[in-house]
Amino acid sequence: MTRKQRRLTLIGAAGAVLAIALGLVLYAMNDTIVFFNSPADIQAKNVRPGTRFRLGGLVKPGSLQRGESQQISFEVMDAESSIVVRYRGLLPDLFREGQGVVAEGVLENPGVFRADTVLAKHDETYMPREVADALRRQGHWQGEGKASQQAK
Amino acid sequence: MVIWIILLTMTAAAVMAVLWPLSRHHGQNRQVDPNTQFYRSQLAEIERDQEKGALLPSEAEAAKAEAARRLLRANGQQDAGFVAVGEPALRRRRAASALALSVVPILAIAIYGAYGSPHFQGGAPIAIKQEAAKLDFAAAVGQIEAHLASNPEDGRGWEVLAPVYLRMGRVDDAVKAYGSAIRYLGPEAGRLANYGEAMVLAKDGVVSAEAQAAFEQAVALDKSSAKARFYLARAAEQDGQIEKAKSAYSDLLSTSPADAPWVPVVREQLSRLGAPQSDAAEAGAPRIGSDDIARMVSGLAARLEAQGGSAEEWARLMRSYAVLGQRDKAAAAAKQARQALAKDEAGLKTIEMMARELKLTDAEP
Amino acid sequence: MLVEAGHFALALALGLSLIQFIVPLWGARTNDPVLMGVAPASALAVLACIGFAFLALTTAYITSDFSVLNVVENSHSTKPLIYKISGVWGNHEGSMLLWVLILALFGAVVAVSKNTVPVRLQANTLAVQAAITVAFLLFILIASNPFTRITPVGEGQDLNPLLQDPGLAIHPPLLYIGYVGFSITFAFACAALIDGRIDAVWARIVRPWTLGAWSFLTLGIAMGSYWAYYELGWGGWWFWDPVENASLMPWLAGTALLHSTVVMEKRDALKVWTILLAILTFSLSLLGTFLVRSGVLTSVHSFAVDPARGSFILGILVAFIGGSFALFAWRAPLLRQGGLFAPVSREGALVVNNLFLATACATVFIGTLYPLALEVLTGEKISVGAPFFNLTFLPLIIPLLLLLPFGQTLAWKRGNFLGTAQRLYAAMGLAIVATLALLAVTAGGPVVAPLGIGLGTFLILGSLNEIVTRSWSKGTRLAVAWRKAAGLPRSAWGTAIAHAGVGVTVIGIAATAWGVEALGTMKVGDRLKAGSYEIRLERLVPRVEANYREDVALLMVSHNGRELGNLETMKRLYVTRNMPTTEAGIMTVGLGQVYASLGEIQSDGSIGLRLYYKPLVLLIWLGALVMAAGGALSLTDRRLRIGAPARAKVPPSSVPAE
Repeated sequence: MTRKQRRLTLIGAAGAVLAIALGLVLYAMNDTIVFFNSPADIQAKNVRPGTRFRLGGLVKPGSLQRGESQQISFEVMDAESSIVVRYRGLLPDLFREGQGVVAEGVLENPGVFRADTVLAKHDETYMPREVADALRRQGHWQGEGKASQQAK
Repeated sequence: MVIWIILLTMTAAAVMAVLWPLSRHHGQNRQVDPNTQFYRSQLAEIERDQEKGALLPSEAEAAKAEAARRLLRANGQQDAGFVAVGEPALRRRRAASALALSVVPILAIAIYGAYGSPHFQGGAPIAIKQEAAKLDFAAAVGQIEAHLASNPEDGRGWEVLAPVYLRMGRVDDAVKAYGSAIRYLGPEAGRLANYGEAMVLAKDGVVSAEAQAAFEQAVALDKSSAKARFYLARAAEQDGQIEKAKSAYSDLLSTSPADAPWVPVVREQLSRLGAPQSDAAEAGAPRIGSDDIARMVSGLAARLEAQGGSAEEWARLMRSYAVLGQRDKAAAAAKQARQALAKDEAGLKTIEMMARELKLTDAEP
Repeated sequence: MLVEAGHFALALALGLSLIQFIVPLWGARTNDPVLMGVAPASALAVLACIGFAFLALTTAYITSDFSVLNVVENSHSTKPLIYKISGVWGNHEGSMLLWVLILALFGAVVAVSKNTVPVRLQANTLAVQAAITVAFLLFILIASNPFTRITPVGEGQDLNPLLQDPGLAIHPPLLYIGYVGFSITFAFACAALIDGRIDAVWARIVRPWTLGAWSFLTLGIAMGSYWAYYELGWGGWWFWDPVENASLMPWLAGTALLHSTVVMEKRDALKVWTILLAILTFSLSLLGTFLVRSGVLTSVHSFAVDPARGSFILGILVAFIGGSFALFAWRAPLLRQGGLFAPVSREGALVVNNLFLATACATVFIGTLYPLALEVLTGEKISVGAPFFNLTFLPLIIPLLLLLPFGQTLAWKRGNFLGTAQRLYAAMGLAIVATLALLAVTAGGPVVAPLGIGLGTFLILGSLNEIVTRSWSKGTRLAVAWRKAAGLPRSAWGTAIAHAGVGVTVIGIAATAWGVEALGTMKVGDRLKAGSYEIRLERLVPRVEANYREDVALLMVSHNGRELGNLETMKRLYVTRNMPTTEAGIMTVGLGQVYASLGEIQSDGSIGLRLYYKPLVLLIWLGALVMAAGGALSLTDRRLRIGAPARAKVPPSSVPAE
C-alpha cells in the first residue's frame, strides 16, 4: 500500500465511524430527549397523554397523600394551574409542601401525571433551575427574599 | 507595622528568586543533551534486552537500526549553540531584571491593596459592633439549637428559644419549641398563652381549635392571664359570636390595670366591634392595611365566582372572610366551593378541613 | 497575620507567574539560556508562594478562625479534624486554590527534571504553564478570594453535610490531580508547537504525565461514582449527570491520548494527532471546571453557583482553547510526519482505539451541551438522560472493547489479523463458554448480563493472554516461563492489568442487570424481600451526635432464612444547616451488596424503605482501581522503549492452552 492508500483507508474508517455516531445521535435526539413543562404548559402546549416529560413546579400545600405501600400522590402547581402527580417510591429528603420539585414521568390523562423519578431542591436556598425560570416567567416567584416573607 | 515588614521581606525573597538565575553568567551547564542522550540510552537498552533474551536478534537489529537513524537525525538538529554573551545578551538580562523588579512588587501590592485587609486586627471596630451582635445572635441560636439537639428534654432551653424564633419569623419552629417547653416543663398559664399565640400567628391570625384549647387551658390555670383571655375573645369574634366577644373584651378591660400595655389594643377592638359598619381590620398580628385585605378578598371572590378556581383558593377565600370577621360570607363561600368542586374529591376534603378549622359548623351540609 | 501573609503570597505568585510566562518565551526566541533559566527558578518560587497561601488557609480552618469569611461559611468548631481540613477544598474558593496549588506543584516537578527535558522545551512548557497559572490566580484573587475577612463571629455555618464524608474529602484532590496533570501535557504540546519540533523524546517526557493524570482521573471518577452510590441513596452508580460527564469527557480524551503517545514514543507516528489530543484533553478539563464552577448546571455536585464567576471562567476557557487551537492551526503543518505503518498493525489498532474513544467523547459532549445550547438559543428546556447515552455511547464503546484484545495482540508496523485471532482462540473460546453457561443457568433472566460478562471475561483473558504468549510457548518449563514473565517490562504488565481492569468493570456493570429491588411500608417486625435477600425491621432508634441527630432503622438481613447480620439506614438532620440527609445502609456480601435506603418516618411509626440486592456491584469500582493500578505500574517503568517492528515468528501451533 502506498502512503496515499493508507491515508484513504484511515479517512474512510474515520468517516464511517463518525457517520454511524452521527446517525445514532440524531436518532437518539428524536427518541430520548425529555422536555420540561410546567403545569400551565401542559394545557398551553396541549401535551398528549402518554408523553414523557419533566414536570416542574411547587408542591401544593396540603396536597400530599400517602397510600398503601408507598403509593404517593401530590399536586404540582404554578401560578395558573396544578396537576396531580402519582408516584411510588421514596420521596427525596428535601421534598416539602410549598417548595420546588421536578418529577419525570408520563402524562396518564390530562389531569394525572405518573412520575417515576422525583427530584427536590438540593439545599435550603436552591430552587430547581427550570422551576424557578418557569415561575418567574409567570411573575410568581421573585427570589428567595420575597418568598420567605410570604411564608410568614 | 509588623505585617508590612513581613510582606516586604516576602516580596524581596520573591524578586530574588527571579534575579538569582539572571545574575549567573552562563545559564545552567548541561553535561548532556537530553535529545541525543535519549536515543543513546535506547540503544543501550536494546542491547541489554537482547542479552537477557527478551528480544530476538532479528527484533533487536531492526529496533537498533531505527534508534540509530533517529540518533543521527537528533545529532543533526542539535540546538544551535546558545548565545549568552555579548552586549545584546547583557541588555536582555538587564531588561528582564528590571521587569522582575517592577512587575512582581507592583502587581502584588496593587492586588493585595485592593482585596486584602492589612489593617485587620482581629477585634471588631465599634461602628460595626451591632452587626457583630446580630451575627452573634444567629450564632447563639445555633448554639442553643445544637445544645437542644443533644439534650432535647431541656424544656428551659426550648422556652428561651421559642420567642427568639418568633422574632426571627420562624413561626412554625416557635410553635414546636413552645410545644416542647410545655411537654418538658409542664403546662403553665403564661407558657400556654404564648403557645397559643404562636399558633395564631402561624395561621395568619385565625384562632384555630387547637389554639383555642391552649388558651382555655391557660385561663383554667390562671384566670388573670390577659393574653389568653384576649385571644379567646378574638376566637369568639371569629366564630361570629360578637356579643360574647364584646363582653369578653370588656371583662378583660375592667380587670386590667389602667396602664397595662394591652389596654389600648383591647379598647380598639371594642370600639371596632361597637361600630358595626367598620371595616373589621386588625386581624392577625402582622398588621396589613385593611383596605388592602378587603380589596384582595373581594378580587379573589369575584374571580372565583366568575371562573372558578382550585380548592386551595376557595379555602383561602374562606379563611380571609373568617379573619375579617365576616362569618356569614365565609359560610357562603364554603357552600359555593362545595358546589364548584363537587367532582373533585381531594378538593372537597380541603374545603371540609378548612371549614372545620374555622369552625363553620353551622354551614355544614 | 498568617492569613494576610497567605493572601499576599498569592498576589506575589501572580507577579512571579507573569515573569515566568514572559521571560522564558523571550529567552527561547532569542536563544538566551540565562533568560530560559528564569523558568525553573520562578516555577519553584510560585510553588513556594501558593503552597504557603494554601497552608495559611488550612491553618485558618484547623484553628477555626471565624474572621475569615470562607471559614465561617464552610466550617464549624465541632466538626471533626478531617472535615476541617477537607473543608478547605469543599467549597468554591478553596477548591480553586487547591487547583492552582497542584498546577504549581506539577510546574515545579517539570522545573527540577533538568537532565531529561531539553532546555528550550522546558522553558516553553513552563511559560505556557505559567500562563494558565496567571489566569487562575487572577480568577481567585479577583472573583473568588478565599481570604476575605469579616468581623469575627462566634460560630461557623458548617460544611454541607453531603460533603462531610471521607469519600468526598479525597474525591476533589484526585480529580484535580487528573485535570491538572493534563495541563502539563497541554503545556508540553503548546511548547512543541511553539518550537515547531516534536519527536520521540517529547513523547517519552509526556508519557508519565499522561499516565499519572489518567490514573488519578480514573480514581477520582470511581470515587465520585461510589460516593454518589452510597451517599445519595438512589442506588445508582452513574447518572449521566452533566457534572459526571464533565469528568468523563477528559477521561475519554485522556485515554485516547495515552494510547497515541505510545504510538508516538515507539514509532514516531501520529504526531499531529497526539498534539491535538493533548490540547483537546485539557480543553475538556477546563470545560469540566467551567461547567461545575460556573453554575450553568445545577446538579447535586456543584457546590458553587455564581454566574459572575462563570463568565470569568468562560473567558479563561475561550482564551486557552481558542489560543491553543490557533497555535495548532498555525504551527502544526510545520511538524514533520513520522513513521509509516500498515492499517492492520498495533498502530492501526491504536488509531481505531483513538477514533472510537474520540467519537464516544463527542457523543457525550453533544449530550451534555446540547440542552444548554438549545436553552440559550430557543429557551426550550430539555433533559438528556441515560436513554440517550445508552443509545449513542454504548454502540461506540462495545465494538471498541471487542477489538481491544486483538489490538493488544497485533504486532507493530504490520500485523496479521488471522494470526492474531488464532492467538486469541483460547480466550474467545472460554469467554463464549462462560456466556453460554451463564445463559443456560439464568434462562429467563436478562440476556444482557451474560453477554456483558462474556465480554468482560474476554477482556480479562485476552489481556492475560498477552503476558502468557510473551513468556510461554509449548515445551517451556513453568519455572522458566515464570521467570520470563517476571522479566517482562513493567509497562507490559501495566497494560495487561489496566485492560483486565476494564474487563472487571464491564462484568460489574453487566451484572447490574441481575439486580433486584423492593419497596415497602414497614412497621417494626415487618419483612421485605428482594430476590433471595430479606430484611426485618428490628427497631427504630433516635440518636444524637455532635453536629446532627438521626433516626436509625435497624434491620436484620437474612439470605434464604439464614441471618447475616444487622444493617442500619438513617435519616439525619444536620442541625446547623437544618438540612436532612438519608444515609443508606450497605452490607457487602461477597462482591455484591445489600443496599437499604430509608424513606419518610410516619407518625404511626411506619417507615418507607427501599431495598436492593446488587450482585457483583463492587466490581465496577474494583475494576477502576485495577485500571489505575495498571497505570501506576506502567508509570514505574522507567525503561526506554522502542517498538520492535517485526516480532519473532510464533509458530501457529503454539496457541496457549489455559
